[in-house]
Amino acid sequence: MKPGGLKSAPPQTMNPLSTDHHLCSDHGGEHPTVWDLPHVPHGLKREWLGLETRRHFLGQGVKALGWAGLATLLGRSAPNLLANAPIPGAPAMLPHFAPKAKRAIYLFMAGSPSQFETWDHKPALADLFDKDLPESVRGGQTLTGMTASQTRFPIAPSIYKFARHGKAGRFVSELFPYTARVSDELCVIKSLHTDAINHEPAILQLTTGNMFPGKPSIGSWLSYGLGAMNEELPTFVVMTSKMPHRTNVQALSNRLWSSGFLSPEHAAVALRSGSDPVLYLNNPKGVASDVRRAMIDGVNDLNRQLFERVGDPEINARISQYEMAFRMQTSVPELADFSNEPQSTWDLYGPRAKEPGTFAYNCLMARRLAERGVRFTQIFLRSWDQHSRLPTNIKLMAEDSDQPTYALVTDLKRRGLLDDTVVIWGGEFGRTVYSQGTLTPENYGRDHHPRCFSMWMAGGGVKPGLSYGETDDFSYNIVKDPMHIRDLHATILHLFGLDHSKLSFKFQGLDQKLTGVLPSKVIHDLLA
Amino acid sequence: MTSWPNFRHAVPALAVLAAVVAARAEDTFYAQRVAPILEQKCVTCHGEKKQKGKLRLDSFAQLMRGGEGGGVVQAGEAKDSALFVRVTLHPEDEDFMPADSKPPLTPDEVKVLELWIAAGASETAPLSSIQGAPALAAPKAPMVALAPDWRPRAAQIAQLEKALGLRLVARSHLPTDGLVLRTAGAPGRCDDAALAQLAPVADLIVEAELARTKITDAGLVSLATFSNLRALDLTRTAVTSGGLGNLAPLGKLESLNLTSTGVDDAGVARLKDLPALRKTWVFDTRAAAVAEDPAASAK
Repeated sequence: MKPGGLKSAPPQTMNPLSTDHHLCSDHGGEHPTVWDLPHVPHGLKREWLGLETRRHFLGQGVKALGWAGLATLLGRSAPNLLANAPIPGAPAMLPHFAPKAKRAIYLFMAGSPSQFETWDHKPALADLFDKDLPESVRGGQTLTGMTASQTRFPIAPSIYKFARHGKAGRFVSELFPYTARVSDELCVIKSLHTDAINHEPAILQLTTGNMFPGKPSIGSWLSYGLGAMNEELPTFVVMTSKMPHRTNVQALSNRLWSSGFLSPEHAAVALRSGSDPVLYLNNPKGVASDVRRAMIDGVNDLNRQLFERVGDPEINARISQYEMAFRMQTSVPELADFSNEPQSTWDLYGPRAKEPGTFAYNCLMARRLAERGVRFTQIFLRSWDQHSRLPTNIKLMAEDSDQPTYALVTDLKRRGLLDDTVVIWGGEFGRTVYSQGTLTPENYGRDHHPRCFSMWMAGGGVKPGLSYGETDDFSYNIVKDPMHIRDLHATILHLFGLDHSKLSFKFQGLDQKLTGVLPSKVIHDLLA
Repeated sequence: MTSWPNFRHAVPALAVLAAVVAARAEDTFYAQRVAPILEQKCVTCHGEKKQKGKLRLDSFAQLMRGGEGGGVVQAGEAKDSALFVRVTLHPEDEDFMPADSKPPLTPDEVKVLELWIAAGASETAPLSSIQGAPALAAPKAPMVALAPDWRPRAAQIAQLEKALGLRLVARSHLPTDGLVLRTAGAPGRCDDAALAQLAPVADLIVEAELARTKITDAGLVSLATFSNLRALDLTRTAVTSGGLGNLAPLGKLESLNLTSTGVDDAGVARLKDLPALRKTWVFDTRAAAVAEDPAASAK
């Protein structure tokens, strides 16, 4: 904002906002604005100001109801919504059709595990060790700077063996002895493909549908479209995990779980991995709860006055965040207190689940969040980016995550939660069949590969035991049932009862959607 | 594994039912598989509002009547039926349907039409009589209402939510999809007395999320009046085996979660006469694990 940009304008046409340097607004002084238009009556301009955003309009409506309870600010409950007049600009807050999934837990394997050692079994490659990848397969594809200078592209078969598991007889890698036990619950997709070949844009595309920052995350869209099931906790929670080793670790930033252009209250709350999941949640010593309540009421009152004057939706978001923080003072300590977990929990998740911040701990926390009605939990586990020393490092990663992953699926199932909780596992792209760097029988690396990669989903209305899509013998190109990230997003929304083509938000003149404007479809074959 | 005695009686009962309801529209291949395709892809132009080519496809009778070019269905002969031929032309063909670049039929949908015409294009043939039809996209939920329309009672619902501190959330935009009784935000406020007060809207609730609430066996007496209840979650409540008998009137109950409750095998045995119950969870109780899907384990 450039304060005071209109200072030379005649006073009668001055944008009242531009005189206040402390206001945050889109129209704080840039040229040109409505205020610069000639021949428009001043009163009309003021009216425009009053209706500056749809949320402000909504806010005025709510004000008329006497601000009866902030929790109902957006009419979270459907019958309430209908009982009052329809609120313009408010999201549906109702599934378009009856949902299968009420919640999702997304295990994001950042850095991208190789499909060859995990879910895309290619036994025929064993005979092609150190042979050159046929040029016809690569088809002149642009390579990353990391392997473009290689003179050879020698085929590296998986060093890890596969065996059939479960009633479905699916091949599961020996890296996942625990996950193999729940193989029949999984729907493995081998034909995902994405547009980005580097981590940041690829992770953004998975988490927000777009490789450019600034778009809302999947969890934010769900929060916006469906509201909360439990107002005492955030609708969207993110956790990052301690890594068993650190190689090529990509930074994670909150743009992966931001609400983008949606109201900030739809952004994720990131739980910390320390002993305090949320910082500064406890009242300072000597401050009683009612004192804190009075303070928040006072601040909210000031914020409300500001909102009435300015109409910036960020102010409403701030108010609701104060409210959420206050409610979390009660709900989070209970959430993070694992002392009432029975021994069977520790047997299942393993002893590391007692150590805050481990992947095991986060998986257990995800189950507790699911029990308490949190819609979307995203757990990041980094350091899957094995350009070199892949056999050693992927094993470290698998050993850290295999049992907790199995435990989460099993725990949800035995507690009756898997039916309406969808678990999603996967990275942001695939890896190359050829070795990056020197290939030996014991050692190799793999570069990034966006043309195909594997993920799995379980529960929440997904068909268990299914394998979807096929890649060629080199897992380089897709030969059957390609599934773009957009299709994955459309399918996830579908599980929640949402039509991806209808869940939209007007921004920059477009009806913005998670799936964007390019063709995208629900993959009905994946649905139970 | 607990056996599921009600299934022992299921076969004769089903046989009788099948004889009685053979002609029920919702069980026919036409109603389940063919009509939804026509409804979705054709009736915009061939329906009540528009009748391009004087053709209507919004009912079986209209479909058989055909349009200005005569009949569109030649029973038994898909290749002689305009209904099939016109949707399988080259998309650039000017006779291709749906016209004007409207979304074409999927290969699966075309296959359904082909199989149905080949099998005689019957209105009454049961769904199961035509084998090999591909699963349709977006399997249509049965168009039966799960509960009465909640909208006339919206004010009452809002008032109960406010008074009881719980939520009654519509399951979808379809007002006959019923309500979810949701307590996750304040499970401590939901007790037996609160359940009793829900009597005026009991028939609207198809899902009751009562995990971690203060419900006891006494509350199950109120729940028994939730005549349209499909799913009931009693996880970590004080419910015991003694109370489960109260659930007997819940003829539509399909899933019951008893995780971390005081139930045992005797209580689970009381559930055996619930006719629709398919899934029961008893993890962390004294009851032996029950099959999640008794139908599957009976095989």
